[in-house]
Amino acid sequence: MKRLPTALNSHPLVSREIHWLTAAFLFAAAPHLLRMPLWISGLVAGIAAMRLLQLRLRFALPRKWLLALVAVAAAGGILLQYRTLFGRDAGVSMLVIMLALKLLETHTRRDGMLLGFLGCFLLVTNFLHSQTIPTALYMLICAWFLLATLIGLQYTGTWPGWRHQIQRAGVLMVQAVPLMAVLFLLFPRVQGPLWGLPQDAYAGLTGLSDNMSPGSLNNLILSYDVAFRAEFKDGRTPEAKDLYWRGPVLWDYDGRTWTAPRLTQSTEDLPAGGDLEYTVTLEPHNKRWLFALEFPGQKPPRAIATRDMQLLSFTPVRSRLRYEMTSAIGAAYGADDDRMVLARSLRLPADSNPRAAAFAAELRNRHREDRDLVSAVLTLFRNENFVYTLTPPLLGQHPVDEFLFDTRRGFCEHYASAFTVLMRAAGIPARVVTGYQGGEVNPVGGYILVRQADAHAWVEVWLENAGWVRVDPTAAVSPARVERGIASALPRSDPLPMFVRGDFAMLQRMRLTWDSITYSWNQWVLGYNPERQRRFLSHLGFSEAGWQTLSVVLVVFAGMAVLIGAGLALRDLRGVRRDPAKLAYDRFCRKLSRRGVPRGAAEGPRVFASRAARQRPDLAAAINDITTLYVGLRYAGDSGTAEALQQLERRIRAFKP
Amino acid sequence: MQPLTATLSAAAALKGRILDWIFQWRGPERGTIVLVQRRVFILPTRQGLLFGGVILLMLLGSVNYDLSLGFILSFLLGASGIQSMLHTFRNLANLRISAGRVTPVFAGETAEFHIRIANAARMPRYSVAVTRDRDTADYVDVPADGEAVATVPVPALRRGWLRPGRITLFTFFPVGLFRAWSYADLDMHCLVYPAPVNPGLPLPRLQAGDGKGGAQGLGQDEFAGLRPYRPGDSPRHVAWKAVARNDLLMTKQFAGRVAAELWLSWDQLPPELDSERRLEHLARWVLDADAEGLAYGLRLPGSVIPIDSGAAHRAECLRALALHETAADRP
Amino acid sequence: MSSQLNAVAEQINGIILGKAHQIRLAIACLLARGHLLIEDVPGVGKTTLAHAIATSLGLRFQRIQFTSDLLPADILGISVYNRDTGGFEFHPGPVFTNVVLADEVNRATPRAQSALLEAMEENQVTIEGETRQLPVPFFVIATQNPSYQIGTFPLPESQLDRFLMRIELGYPDAEAERALLNGDNRRDMLQRLQPRLDAGGLAALQLEVQQVHASAALLDYLQALVNTTRRSPAFAHGLSPRASLALLQGARAWAYMDDRRHVLPEDIQAVLPAVVAHRLSPASETAGTSGTALATQLLEEVAIP
Repeated sequence: MKRLPTALNSHPLVSREIHWLTAAFLFAAAPHLLRMPLWISGLVAGIAAMRLLQLRLRFALPRKWLLALVAVAAAGGILLQYRTLFGRDAGVSMLVIMLALKLLETHTRRDGMLLGFLGCFLLVTNFLHSQTIPTALYMLICAWFLLATLIGLQYTGTWPGWRHQIQRAGVLMVQAVPLMAVLFLLFPRVQGPLWGLPQDAYAGLTGLSDNMSPGSLNNLILSYDVAFRAEFKDGRTPEAKDLYWRGPVLWDYDGRTWTAPRLTQSTEDLPAGGDLEYTVTLEPHNKRWLFALEFPGQKPPRAIATRDMQLLSFTPVRSRLRYEMTSAIGAAYGADDDRMVLARSLRLPADSNPRAAAFAAELRNRHREDRDLVSAVLTLFRNENFVYTLTPPLLGQHPVDEFLFDTRRGFCEHYASAFTVLMRAAGIPARVVTGYQGGEVNPVGGYILVRQADAHAWVEVWLENAGWVRVDPTAAVSPARVERGIASALPRSDPLPMFVRGDFAMLQRMRLTWDSITYSWNQWVLGYNPERQRRFLSHLGFSEAGWQTLSVVLVVFAGMAVLIGAGLALRDLRGVRRDPAKLAYDRFCRKLSRRGVPRGAAEGPRVFASRAARQRPDLAAAINDITTLYVGLRYAGDSGTAEALQQLERRIRAFKP
Repeated sequence: MQPLTATLSAAAALKGRILDWIFQWRGPERGTIVLVQRRVFILPTRQGLLFGGVILLMLLGSVNYDLSLGFILSFLLGASGIQSMLHTFRNLANLRISAGRVTPVFAGETAEFHIRIANAARMPRYSVAVTRDRDTADYVDVPADGEAVATVPVPALRRGWLRPGRITLFTFFPVGLFRAWSYADLDMHCLVYPAPVNPGLPLPRLQAGDGKGGAQGLGQDEFAGLRPYRPGDSPRHVAWKAVARNDLLMTKQFAGRVAAELWLSWDQLPPELDSERRLEHLARWVLDADAEGLAYGLRLPGSVIPIDSGAAHRAECLRALALHETAADRP
Repeated sequence: MSSQLNAVAEQINGIILGKAHQIRLAIACLLARGHLLIEDVPGVGKTTLAHAIATSLGLRFQRIQFTSDLLPADILGISVYNRDTGGFEFHPGPVFTNVVLADEVNRATPRAQSALLEAMEENQVTIEGETRQLPVPFFVIATQNPSYQIGTFPLPESQLDRFLMRIELGYPDAEAERALLNGDNRRDMLQRLQPRLDAGGLAALQLEVQQVHASAALLDYLQALVNTTRRSPAFAHGLSPRASLALLQGARAWAYMDDRRHVLPEDIQAVLPAVVAHRLSPASETAGTSGTALATQLLEEVAIP
């Protein structure tokens, strides 16, 4: 019994509650703290430690003005650190520091609840950085912990223990799952963003860029990140040598760097006969390219196709994107490209790579036919002492010259670049194509997984009557790169992300399983966007329904989910499980009551039996038998109870007054 | 002026009627009140609204940054909040409320009404609060298939029967986002004795018996027994023989014709006192006489309580004073 | 009922006419090893009943008439200097017996009362710093006049609690009274009474009563009854744990006398008024209600779980 104010808001918190709040806050903030600059993490950890120490030593907490001062100083520090207060990282840092300071002036239940709510908000900000399964699980545990903390603020009597608190929160969350699922599936989705995003919102997304210079692909190849996954219809996975995923096409060369043109002509004229059907799930890379096998037979929604067979999304890909695609492998195109286009693909900067230009001229003299010239260069790459390696020597002012005649050690970009320069110098239109080559077939999930490590560069040359033809000079040097993947092509000493080599069968297997789970996760959880919601609704039979219908659908399903929750919650209102003998006896009494012989609540069984027998002499024998059985079971602790109970229940079933 | 007042009172009456209808207030109820589900009301608290706001903010953020997991977390926490409404509701539903014990008090003190809260369900109820004045509440936990007792203090202003009136039961448990409440108007009463005057008049002196009363009391004729010695007892009455045996001072008591009897009488009080004041003086006397272990009787206009002593007698006298000329709205 | 108990009851019924239920309660009280308080106006046969019970059970019997000048030593005994032995010699008081009939116990001073009550509680007495065991079995059958009689020292509640049962005999009905008037002198009949049992036999029966089974369901009922007195507004104060135990013991004895080895709610209901009426007092709301009426109300109010 405890007399307290009716409104508990100003009720002071006890040590246990502050311990919980501090721990819950630290748990929710932990992933941020690990990412943040050391001084912020240190500040936050220090504040939390101070609060906990204060509970033990009971010293006076800093005054409000001091806290305000610390807040202002922290804001200044953040401004210095991030150059802004409103970016993603700066904003989150600010939030974490503010919450930590709030911890220092959390004294009442009202403060505690506010801190708990803000903790929930803090959880969401973690998803700005990562939405993987481990993150999701961690945040789920944090949310559980936070909810348990909030519940812990509500006890007024003796505290029933942390188990009870945790269990309560768990039950609450489990019972909330049906409603959560309905809301997730049916709550109207709007494509973000609703307002401007901070500049650094998509910092750290990796992928191909619109230019290529020696060494620029190296970083990508060391990355284990997933670029995209492709799932082929009916399991018709093409051979590895056909897996050229076309990305940026680079036309312009300044002697060192290849760049994609700013403007490209779009076309509706895509190669026909694209009978290879598949679905691509593209990870966000903050660029517009959509990847497809050469050559795309259609363009995805909200995208264009260019004349050089690139697929460009209207907007940079900033969330996981899933699109259907068809490709015609080995199709020809561009045989009728006009002079302007061809001229651009012959341009070379003056006085760069002079030795290469001389060599090209010499080749031109030897081979009149373009095809022969192409073959000759490939043969050169194949027969001379060219080495395929991730760690080529640095190149100087004339990178192609040095590569072709001095170092002869290079990576796909070196070969593609050198080959294109030679072609152009020899008067054959050529351009560099970047993208991904190969990918790992995941037998668990039945799809191809393409990583950033699969990034590749190759060449297209324009031949009379044939149009643009793919030439992969890397394949001439290292056929294994194209047929078996990058890991088998590189010398063992070359660095590669762990696991890419796949030396350990079991690890390999686990890795593939895990990736397959991740793939489904991406497909069904993270990839659930307005588009998928439309499709889900049309599965339910609400295609093209207006918002009124959809609201009704949402309300109806949400109502059903709440009813399920209510059923689960109110189930516990049932009474304590009674003795089955007593339940049977109650049935017996109800039967007699319906025949006008009700038992008083305080009437003992024997007394009732004799009264009932007097009132209904015809039933006396049955009544006495049943009462004897019941009394034996309930009061005498008869042995062989199960049998006696069965007999009692049988007799009562048979009892028909 | 007049029409305005009339309108106002009519509006107040209408409001009262509407509240009666919504909350099904129906005056005192006898026996056990079961908080059936339609008697339990529920609304979000300020914290609940705040929580809703935070969830909304989380949703907006999730839309803006296209965070699928943000959606899931917001919906999970939001749905948990809604589920907590059901949990708050069930924390109060189906409780059985009945009157507990009440101890009589003196006017000016605070009467404590005990409210029995029984829980037949297999889950315990936490932090169930009982309040009457809306300022303070008694928070109790009711165990599964068990019972708890909450106390409702009511200031006892006047002598007579005191009723607690309508009390409110409410709970915020488990998360504090919602407040479920219910009303109970139990038919229970506390006896309020008149406040004893302090300091009071000295006790009336023992009067010589008039010989006609015939009532038996403590006299001097016939030895009736021994009781422990109290200061002031006449040395003549000390049982010296008993002292010799027991080392304990005992006073002999005698029964027989009453030689002196202590009557606490309405008429003995100064005439300038009004009747309430008289009752307060009488209450004082009853307490004083009881404290001294005297046997006494009480004479009120219209009623007489014969001479006796002891706790039950004291209670009877005080009860007579408390209920003197009150409308007996109580059996 | 076992044949011996049957014989005892029969014999007493022959003397106290028309009071079979009270006699049965009295025997149950002794079987439950409890002390018995008989309360009624003088002349309804309280003393006769006590005497008859003691004789029929074959127990040694002493009667103490309680008066206002009765001293503890009159009950417990006294040490007297013995010139021959040169030491003190203890002369045991009337309490050193199997059955003490404390007649009109409320006439004596509290000091004398408490001397007896110590003996009841501890089954031993302490005289001049020396503790002496009382014989086994040891019962007190006390009689008292209703408290409104003048010149009495009513037993305080704490001491009433030590009596397992209190029974009221009440006036005999017309038929029984006629039989009484026609019959022999009661005093002569008491002289003719034959013991139907002895101390050893009684002890054996008491041991068997202890073995009577009380199921969880029955204890639930008992606790519901006790808890109601503790929480309901009708009662000035609730029953003590001692009262709960007394109720269970009484119900066991009652069940045993009914030849059962388990207790039924009916047994509790049969003994409850006798066991609790003297321990209950009404709250201000129910002022004027007697303990017996409260006990009846309690039985009606509490459902059997």
